[in-house]
Amino acid sequence: MTTLRAFTFNFDICYNNYGIPFYLQYLAHWPEYFIVAEAPGGELMGYIMGKAEGSVAREEWHGHVTALSVAPEFRRLGLAAKLMEMLEEISERKGGFFVDLFVRVSNQVAVNMYKQLGYSVYRTVIEYYSASNGEPDEDAYDMRKALSRDTERKSIIPIPHPVRPEDIE
Amino acid sequence: MAIQQADKLLKKHKDLHCAKVLKAIGLQRTGKQDEAFSLAQEVATLEPTDDNSLQALTILYREMHHPELVTKLYEAAVKKVPLSEEYHSHLFMAYARVGEYKKMQQAGMALYKIVPKNPYYFWSVMSLVMQAISAQDEKLAQTMFLPLAERMVEKMVKEEKIEAEAEVQLYFMILERLGKCVEALDVVRGPLGEKLTSELRSRENKCMMMYQRLQLWPECNALSYKLLLKNPDDWQFYLSYFDSLFHLMDKSWSQPEEGEHCVEGPVQTTVAEAVKFVVDRMEEQDKKESRPLRGPYLACLELIHRLRQRGCPDEKELGDPLELMVQFFGKFGDKPCCITDLKIYLHLLPPEQRSQLVPLGEAGEDGFGFPGDTKALQRHLCVCQLSRALGLQHALDTEGKLRLITELKAHYHHGLQFGKSCLKTELQFSDMYCLMAAHVYVDLWTETGDENMLWQCLSVLEEGLSFSPSNAQFKLLLLLLFCRLGAFQPVVDLYSSLDAKHVQHDTIGYLLTRYAGSLGQFAAASQSCNFSLRFFHSNQKDTSEYIIQAYKYGAFEKIPEFIAFRTRLNQSLHFAQVRTERMLLDLYTEADVTLSLEESVKAMGVCPEEDDIPWDNMRDNRDLTVLVSWDPKDRELTEEHRRLSLEEESVWLKVRSLTLRLLASLALLGHAPSPRNSDKTNENGISAKSSTLQTLLSQLDQTLETAVQITEKQTQYPFLGPPSSRLASALSSGSCHCQASGVAISNHLQEQCKGEVLEMKDGRLTTRPSLLETLVFFVETVCVVLWVASYSASVLRPLKSSLQKKKKKKKDSSSAMPVVLCGFQEWTGSLQGVVTQALDHVKGQEASLTALKLAALTLEEGYSQTQEECGFTRAAMDKVQSSYLGSLQELGDLLRKRADSLKSLKI
Repeated sequence: MTTLRAFTFNFDICYNNYGIPFYLQYLAHWPEYFIVAEAPGGELMGYIMGKAEGSVAREEWHGHVTALSVAPEFRRLGLAAKLMEMLEEISERKGGFFVDLFVRVSNQVAVNMYKQLGYSVYRTVIEYYSASNGEPDEDAYDMRKALSRDTERKSIIPIPHPVRPEDIE
Repeated sequence: MAIQQADKLLKKHKDLHCAKVLKAIGLQRTGKQDEAFSLAQEVATLEPTDDNSLQALTILYREMHHPELVTKLYEAAVKKVPLSEEYHSHLFMAYARVGEYKKMQQAGMALYKIVPKNPYYFWSVMSLVMQAISAQDEKLAQTMFLPLAERMVEKMVKEEKIEAEAEVQLYFMILERLGKCVEALDVVRGPLGEKLTSELRSRENKCMMMYQRLQLWPECNALSYKLLLKNPDDWQFYLSYFDSLFHLMDKSWSQPEEGEHCVEGPVQTTVAEAVKFVVDRMEEQDKKESRPLRGPYLACLELIHRLRQRGCPDEKELGDPLELMVQFFGKFGDKPCCITDLKIYLHLLPPEQRSQLVPLGEAGEDGFGFPGDTKALQRHLCVCQLSRALGLQHALDTEGKLRLITELKAHYHHGLQFGKSCLKTELQFSDMYCLMAAHVYVDLWTETGDENMLWQCLSVLEEGLSFSPSNAQFKLLLLLLFCRLGAFQPVVDLYSSLDAKHVQHDTIGYLLTRYAGSLGQFAAASQSCNFSLRFFHSNQKDTSEYIIQAYKYGAFEKIPEFIAFRTRLNQSLHFAQVRTERMLLDLYTEADVTLSLEESVKAMGVCPEEDDIPWDNMRDNRDLTVLVSWDPKDRELTEEHRRLSLEEESVWLKVRSLTLRLLASLALLGHAPSPRNSDKTNENGISAKSSTLQTLLSQLDQTLETAVQITEKQTQYPFLGPPSSRLASALSSGSCHCQASGVAISNHLQEQCKGEVLEMKDGRLTTRPSLLETLVFFVETVCVVLWVASYSASVLRPLKSSLQKKKKKKKDSSSAMPVVLCGFQEWTGSLQGVVTQALDHVKGQEASLTALKLAALTLEEGYSQTQEECGFTRAAMDKVQSSYLGSLQELGDLLRKRADSLKSLKI
């Protein structure tokens, strides 16, 4: 039981991993891709934030999940899946070919969850996450799920060789 | 480097604008603000029209916080190149950056005339809407700006020129703001509404909004019903469904004889239908193979709650609340949110049933047995949380509470085995037991005043943190407790490990800034104010750029939101507090006598006549429920608490801000001291200054009167709620009145400072943190008195010398020194005595604190703790001791500096 609503820019941001400008940028450009879930008591349960990008001509027009966050006490309720489903629907309507996201290679819980939601590893991006406290940079999986427009599911055929962050568009 | 390159270029091409501007940017980045600015102005007055110079100047002006100059730049550019789409568009954005809505409207139209693209036209329309939103006069908005905006859109509609979704959204926004809900509905439901596709449920949401405003309850009901069938977990539609149902019942609405109920489909108008609807939704979930949704079960409790409110007997049809809750617990008890959900409806249980709910949770376990896996643990934890929320824990006597603590600790320790593989960033499954044990300790401490409970509470939290280093709740409670103990040093690390970011500097920054200064940790206080201030200052610049982006991408609905957000931060109570405290701190710690006071005041730009605090629109953005609590409703933070806390903080802020302005006016008074014996030389300027001082003084007197009234109320906030302001302790220390009168210093403060801040008696430790707070007020007062004295000295010195000259001339030994001079000397003498005494006192405190050997405490006996627990307690005690010592040292240093400058106050 969750109220799903558009993100109204206020003090909603309590699980803020990003600076305010980052959120403002997304809200100014892709407001429809920003959805929050609220509990009956008014607590913020989680949010998803994404965007649409890529060239239509090259069949790379797609939805991208930038951030997905669920508060610890509202986990294991299927909220992340619900939010992902909504983002996919928005991307369907925009005529996207696929939805993609980046996830830390080490974040096995998240990788498994995305797999369950129908995502597969498309490629590995080397040292995508820059580490802060002296530890080495971490690789990311670029995971994808084809949307109905990509009837032959061409967009998700894996690329065997890892790529560098500067090579991804 | 960049400057050199630019210089090289300039040698070849003397008048290359762009090179000059780039050099200016270089200068600005190397801190040469004035040089950079004049170089930029040099180029700007030539009204450049090359794109590079313009863009570079835009960057420079933005960085120098002069966005208004960018508008001048492009105004000149479009005059010279009137057909440039690019420059016109830059001009529009420049106006947007500074919020010149009227000019934006014109610039948008000018653009549209050059290049008839729809977005430009609608930029202009949106600027009209912004004029309406920002208009002081609502009538002007309703009769001029919005109707004009509406007509502009209508014109495009008639000409069938509407292209984008954003344009329809803007049309809807205008109609909605005009209160033309019927028209707005027509737009959404009509062909234009078909463009509303990006946002999920965009049309439905907008319709619902209008139905509610128009009180079209049949439509509201039918639409909610439809949406709930699609998603039986979407809580907002249960609320609108119930709301509309009861409205319809109250109006005895009946179905029309023929045709459809309403455009949205079937309408439900009876309790029986609602009951059936909710029961059906629950059954649907029961039958499901996949995991059930919480919505329908909670909707059932919500409906009971509403029926009971109306005194409607039909609630029985839905079942017994206790059974329903037990059923809910059965399904969702292993989820952490179970307590959050059920807490809302606990009032539905009659008192005699309250204790029944709790043992039911333990069914399936053998007595006090420990849970076998994390799901069982979560269920047991939920039961504990429920028992606390029902007030059962509070009802226990001291013995019972101690037993409860033992049990909670046992469960905590047992549960640690499930989280052995947890990463440092993850929480332990049993953390909440530990937190709850700490809450019970706090209960015991506040009820009995037994400080041992506090030490053990610190111990249990420190232990918890050692196993779960990223648990924010542990940190927050530790932070609060150390603050209450007057030990600020450990708080610095705790707060920084919370990694508070961005908006949190506003919402939880108060935890830090309330205590830092008041506990004599001036360096830390200054730093914590800076954290917050940096955030507030960057906000202004950031928001403007994204408002521009929103225009570009047609996210018109977001623009008022962004602006409201910016306003909310600018009017933040915390912002005003850190602004004021930061300046006061600087004065107290840096400014010596009036001369340096004057310099500091000038550097800060404090103007005594100006009050920059938005007293009437102050926004309390503090997150006062950031600390988790499972307390029963009657112990929770209420709206009244919030109101009182804001009131108290505002009055305290007023005291501080008036003090600051008084100090500023004192400093400026000292700027041109006039001999008091000749009224004629009293120029207007100076008497104006002293009248400002008078006005401020009387305002301060008034504020202090209000303050007394407020403190007499002695508001008690929940322990986990907001800390009380410094008002009460400031008043009782007498420092307010002392600072206000600024003339006589009594030993009053010193009297209050007697006693030891930390004492060990009979193997037990006693703290007296209020001593530190009083000492801080004393030191502040000494500073104020010293500034007054220093000013007086500057007035009296010429008087004395002129008298001495006269004396020499007349050779008249009979004319004695005027009383005022002797009085001053006597006064400074006694002041010196007081400060010396205070210094001795601080020294004594430091010495006895250093001599205090905490290791001598045999905790095992005094506190009946295990050896491990003793370790944590001892660590906490050490932190407190060293923090007290740190505070005393900072206070002593400051006092010594003041004592030195006092010596120089000879006339």
